[in-house]
Amino acid sequence: MYILGISCYYHDASAALLKDGVVVAAAEEERFTRKKHDTSFPLNAITYCLKSQRITMGQVDAVGFYEKPFLKFERLLGQHVQMFPKSLKTFVSAMPSWIHEKLHIRKSIKKLGYEGEVYFIEHHLAHAAASFLVSPFKKAAILTADGVGEWSTTTWGIGNEKEIQLLGEIRFPHSLGLLYSTITAYLGFTVNNAEYKVMGLASYGDMDKKTNSYYEKLKQVVDIKEDGSYTLDLKYFKYHYADRMPSQAMEKLLDGPTRKKETEVAQRHKDIAAALQLILEEAMTAMLKDLSKKTHYQNVVLGGGVALNSVYNGKILRNTPFKRVWIHPNPSDGGSSIGVALYIYHTILGKKREKQHQLSHAYLGPAFSTEEIQQFLDARGIRYSKFKNQQELIASTAKMIFDNKVVGWFQGKMEWGPRALGSRSILANPCNPQAKELLNEKVKHREHFRPFAPVVCADDALKYFDCDKPLPEITDFMLMVYPIKKEWHKKIPSVTHVDGSGRLQTISRKQNHLYYEVIKAFGKLSKIPILINTSFNIRGEPIVCTPADAYTCMMGTGIDCLVMGNFLIKRSDNEQDQWNSEHDAKD
Amino acid sequence: MGIHKKKKGNVALFFVGTQEGIKSFGESIQTLVNTILLTIVYLGGVGTAWLMCKISGRTFFTGKPQQEAKTYWEPLDLKKKPIEEYRRQF
Repeated sequence: MYILGISCYYHDASAALLKDGVVVAAAEEERFTRKKHDTSFPLNAITYCLKSQRITMGQVDAVGFYEKPFLKFERLLGQHVQMFPKSLKTFVSAMPSWIHEKLHIRKSIKKLGYEGEVYFIEHHLAHAAASFLVSPFKKAAILTADGVGEWSTTTWGIGNEKEIQLLGEIRFPHSLGLLYSTITAYLGFTVNNAEYKVMGLASYGDMDKKTNSYYEKLKQVVDIKEDGSYTLDLKYFKYHYADRMPSQAMEKLLDGPTRKKETEVAQRHKDIAAALQLILEEAMTAMLKDLSKKTHYQNVVLGGGVALNSVYNGKILRNTPFKRVWIHPNPSDGGSSIGVALYIYHTILGKKREKQHQLSHAYLGPAFSTEEIQQFLDARGIRYSKFKNQQELIASTAKMIFDNKVVGWFQGKMEWGPRALGSRSILANPCNPQAKELLNEKVKHREHFRPFAPVVCADDALKYFDCDKPLPEITDFMLMVYPIKKEWHKKIPSVTHVDGSGRLQTISRKQNHLYYEVIKAFGKLSKIPILINTSFNIRGEPIVCTPADAYTCMMGTGIDCLVMGNFLIKRSDNEQDQWNSEHDAKD
Repeated sequence: MGIHKKKKGNVALFFVGTQEGIKSFGESIQTLVNTILLTIVYLGGVGTAWLMCKISGRTFFTGKPQQEAKTYWEPLDLKKKPIEEYRRQF
């Protein structure tokens, strides 16, 4: 039985395919169209999913959409009525897309040649299903938090076998996600894109509630009750009626106007980011403690974009009574295509949850065979060499990284979700103190304050990181930030953030044998089996998908070589592209 | 031969350019018409609804923290429903 899940029209459009309840393919549309966070109907992602199983739309048994479009439209109209006449501009700009496409999702699906049923589930139910139904838990408490779905912005509930029940909600416009986005906009970064930069910036600010004056100021913006439920004072916001987020009252409160893009990030901005992170953590911790009290469950699953806050995720088990935590590798809207498909299979159709339904890796995207890669290289006249065998590939890659080369790593199936997890990664030497600067300036063209993530074999993680014990499964998805043990700070400076933490990814041999062996081989050379793993793209571009994307990215940046399948392509052996990646780098 | 080819290229270029120009002009007209129509709908439809809500005292959301409230959680009972509910877009 095949079930196709679709999410689109807000941000990160995606498609996912289940075969007898097992996720067999999933990808975000942006990887194919090369438009970051592409919102459009995910035609390319659907085509990939079907092609991967060699089926047509006619063979799909059910299709699901990740929200109820008419309920969302109702909320939008309610917003405009309430905010009349201030919302005229946003009404005029938003309505055409609703009239022409967003209210015709069923028609768009039928156009693909599909004759069967289309199911629609609520947005936060899709988030909850995406996390709970592929988690290792039979029973768990559930907390979802994002910008907004139909009306809900935060929900809590319980998952029990194949059933999910959401029991409480906080409704729009009160939203932790939108609060975070508003401050992201205030700090001069792009909304629905750069929230993770604010999270990284927070570590440079004052994380002490007593001394950071912006903490008290932001507390005027949000009222948090003892149970973690919260409300926003709307005088500080404009997003419910305008196309910008912070109001003048917010600018006055935070001692200055919204920061202009590409201008200097001052200490004030860092302290505001820190205050925001403190408030988010305070609300989340209170909500989770209360959730534990209400449900008496030991396991918790999180969903929605707020669950990408890896700094907070790393503190959940220390700060709340929960014993285990699970988060989908793509917890924001992109991941909801898997959520709706799973909900149809297990909850609507009543199919039992089995061990094989758990998501043990995120390698669900397109792969390219040796023949396909070689064909591409030959057709483009690219100079390359071929590794004799896997041992040579592993040893050579480890040696290049040890020699401080920046290596583009393109292997197997592309990752699902916003993180590069060893299929479309840039790898570098974390022991090299210049690596962070080099990668930020010459390769990724991104802000100096942004940290790089370490990848470590799961069996070595506890030696270097102060992790929860036992190691949560979701460290495999780079969803947890943990302190790096002090004795290693100076030895791996390029992955040690200013506050001594690292957003680690753990990897097992079973998940990704080649990647695991490269890390181990590097460890034999350097005595530290850790690598820098950053996504294979430049700032503002989606992670590479095809060999052509990878080659173009390498030739336009400071990546030294590309290990693509069994082939080694060196930048110095090939003619430099005219493409100026630094010029094209966006937020 | 080369000159002939060049001339043909220029003609083709002219037609492509014209086509693109007409398309862009059409899009501008569409945007203008949409804006005018939607402004009328907004002032007439949304404005009337706003007035009725004002008279009846209906609000879609509140914008001020309530110090006396114990919680901001609102009850929700989202659980498994009959299958036909999932076929609806609302």
